[in-house]
Amino acid sequence: MSGDLSPVDDPVAGPFFAGILEGRFTAQRCNSCEALRWPPLSGCPDCHSRSTTWVEVAPTGTIWSFVVYHRAFQASLKEEIPYTVAMVELDDGPYVVGRLVPGDKPPAVGDRVVAELGEFGGVPSVRWRTA
Amino acid sequence: MASSRNPIAGQAAIVGIGHTVQGELPGRSVEENAVDAALLALADAGLSVDDLDGLIGCKSVQGQGNDVTVGQLLGRNLPYVQSLDYGTCNFSLHLAVMAIVSGLASTILLTYGANARTAKFDFGKPMYGADMASAAGLVHISGRAGLALQRHKALYGTTDEQFGMLAVGQRQWAQKNPNAIFRTPMTMADYLAEPYMVEPLRRSDVTMISDGGVAVVVTTAERARNLPQQPVYVSGIAEHAGVRGEHNPENLMRPWLKDSAKAIWSTTGLTPADMDAVYIQDPTAVWSLQMLEYYGFCGLGEGGPFLAEGHTLPGGDLPLNTHGGQLSESYTWGWMHMVEAVRQLRGQAGERQLADPKVALYASSHGFLKAAASVLSTEESVAA
Repeated sequence: MSGDLSPVDDPVAGPFFAGILEGRFTAQRCNSCEALRWPPLSGCPDCHSRSTTWVEVAPTGTIWSFVVYHRAFQASLKEEIPYTVAMVELDDGPYVVGRLVPGDKPPAVGDRVVAELGEFGGVPSVRWRTA
Repeated sequence: MASSRNPIAGQAAIVGIGHTVQGELPGRSVEENAVDAALLALADAGLSVDDLDGLIGCKSVQGQGNDVTVGQLLGRNLPYVQSLDYGTCNFSLHLAVMAIVSGLASTILLTYGANARTAKFDFGKPMYGADMASAAGLVHISGRAGLALQRHKALYGTTDEQFGMLAVGQRQWAQKNPNAIFRTPMTMADYLAEPYMVEPLRRSDVTMISDGGVAVVVTTAERARNLPQQPVYVSGIAEHAGVRGEHNPENLMRPWLKDSAKAIWSTTGLTPADMDAVYIQDPTAVWSLQMLEYYGFCGLGEGGPFLAEGHTLPGGDLPLNTHGGQLSESYTWGWMHMVEAVRQLRGQAGERQLADPKVALYASSHGFLKAAASVLSTEESVAA
């Protein structure tokens, strides 16, 4: 995947992608109120501080929900269907969405997952594997 | 009657409705479709373009069809013109009511035009720019709506058969509507036999894409009394934004819808039981499931069994989207819902006409960001 679906040029989210390439799964933490946030934002929506540190978060969580795509809505996804996307509630709090790698049995809401870091389809990101 | 609790009650009314054929209108721009509908709405109201002092243009998904581009074709320099974003029909109605109550304008045309079907708009492209979700393949409305439904199923045990009552029911209503695009009968067995598109959603759970224009004329209650159509009064309006977006916990469930619901009932003093019909803007059937629950027509999590009981079907006690909605009638992002509510309240809905409806709820949302609700009525003053 690339082109229209690639977010790596986003200046706000850039440090996340750089972190992935260094093997670190990171999220923003507000330097003022210490709230962890995902997706990245240029300022804290709680206290409005713009001072942020990218901190490592535990790469573990539970499946909040998931969907299985049987239709490719972009040409670049055609070879990948059927594919599964999961919304994961991290143990550290934020919700992070990503591709779910199929395990031995069908996924279920509440399944424990672990993040695998890497470049997937040309985009540095996480994908989820059932623990 | 105006009160401090509900200062807009009965002060403005919908007096004209108009729409083009809904379907494929090749070679016609968003603005042309909007203006074709506008002329029909004015004729329906017994008014001409020179009677207008306001125009509100609701943008198409492509960002076209705003106040200045539609206004250019209408060709009048009006005191009050405004634009609202895509998917904001209910908000456009609210803006018109507010302009009337404040005295900025007295007779306002609201327009929407779509040509996304023949213009082949790419609904798989991320609407708010590329992000990690789109890179993971979470594209198209059915992805996020599907996540919300899967969560609902896991929490409450909602089944495909219960949820499918929405698509099947909308088709039953559409069969009675000559304007509807999808009128082929669809049984529950047909629905369940349909493959998943984005599991747990099937094709029939998601809006069609069609071209068309829709327009509505709103004026003062005073002027409405002297126009040819039965006025449909705006008895209450409410909104609530969820603009923290993905920084809301569980934003895919759109929890802020319940704040709009609470506001419409407390403002009007009415309850769900007072509604003779309900109109829910439904780009996916998941929106109807969520809003039936949040607006209190059934309990939170009880939408599945409630739908299975048939309340929302023809003959049921809570007629839902009696035109077939976006699943079976046409695309136009809630605009035809408003037209249908007016038709029903006027008694002009033909084969699908309800028995003497007096009051209806129109509930809508702007994606994962905003909620709005209106109560529409044949009465200037709706008693609770």
